Amino acid sequence: MRFLGISFIVILLFTSCTVASTKDFVLVENSVEKYKNPYFADYSKDYVYKANFEVYGRTFGGLLIIKKLATEHHRVVFATEFGSKMMDMELKNDVFTINFIADDLNKKILINTLKKDFKILLQEEIRVDKAYRTTAATIFQLVDNKRFSYYYISKKNQQLVRILHASKSKEKIIFTFESKKGKIAENILIDHKNMKLKIKLKRID
Amino acid sequence: MNYLKLKHMPKLILILFLCLGTASFAQNAMTAQEITNFKQRVKAVAQKTKTIGSDFDQYKHMEFLSNDIKTSGKMLFKSPNLVKWSYTSPFQYSVIFKEDKLLINDEGKKSDVNIGSNQLFKKLNQLIVKSISGDMFDAAEFTMNFSKNAETYIVTFDSKDEELKKYIKQFVLHFDTQKHTVVEVRMIEPSDDYTQIVFKNRKENQVIKDEVFRN
Repeated sequence: MRFLGISFIVILLFTSCTVASTKDFVLVENSVEKYKNPYFADYSKDYVYKANFEVYGRTFGGLLIIKKLATEHHRVVFATEFGSKMMDMELKNDVFTINFIADDLNKKILINTLKKDFKILLQEEIRVDKAYRTTAATIFQLVDNKRFSYYYISKKNQQLVRILHASKSKEKIIFTFESKKGKIAENILIDHKNMKLKIKLKRID
Repeated sequence: MNYLKLKHMPKLILILFLCLGTASFAQNAMTAQEITNFKQRVKAVAQKTKTIGSDFDQYKHMEFLSNDIKTSGKMLFKSPNLVKWSYTSPFQYSVIFKEDKLLINDEGKKSDVNIGSNQLFKKLNQLIVKSISGDMFDAAEFTMNFSKNAETYIVTFDSKDEELKKYIKQFVLHFDTQKHTVVEVRMIEPSDDYTQIVFKNRKENQVIKDEVFRN
């Protein structure tokens, strides 16, 4: 009886600590050690997006330009439609360097948020700590510093369609990808669940 | 000896080609008299220009990119200070500079941005208006340098304003030698990356209704 009671508490703890959208996950045997995010992996490509930021009811736009310079080394530039650079950053092996930032954007909270977003968006090689499945996708989980990133690979076309970044109990950021051929994401939505911030990216050629 | 000469041939040819290239695009400084005449002509044309409608191609050059980012559209100007930039390719985006406001239409989504308090934006707007109309030879704001090549007069404007210099260290304007109108604007950032806007199909003094500058 006592054992049952403890089990019940343990089950309760576990369920209350699970992010809602992972409830239908079924743990499967981990068949791969690493997963490679294909979307910003080609040196020869200039990844240029029309970007829209929705921040607490305000919107502003511009161009987001991403270039892979070397393995785990990307340059990220945000510019106005006129071409004026507003932010110029580099991410190299988890280390961020800001080459330039306009005074209006030089806010700690904004910089830290974008750093986190781009770190997840641009990380190429993902260690697979656990694997799950649902009816629609295979999911690879990366555990990093008490945060969980879930990479959803669609069963329909084997494409990366979503990254869910969460704590033990809360969804933090959801990245949604739309891709025609699975190599380049034509549309990306970065939706922050703990603040009113949405970033929409639409690829331009 | 012969071997040595042969070995250096490709390099010599390359140098020769480079020199030829430089020669054909050579820029010569303008004389004081030429500068005075040029400024007068440009101002005279600007004063007669009530409206401008022009297509443009914009190239964003960044040193790390494989290709410049090309966007295209149409620019409309109505004297004294109404400007509309409509990007039509590869996306639909327009911005109207009107008094102290930016009226933006981003693929159907309309918004206003107040630029009254933002001195930098104000300055950029003034520069854009002046560079289109060709009336920007203000020695208090810029250090200017005048040169010419076979096709254009080239004026460089080095900003004296510290705030503006953080974003754009130099403007380079190319003027048609016959018409004395701006055919190209280049805005160079402190990093040497730049935005180049090339105007084409420019039409002057055609009727442009005020409604065009409403969002």
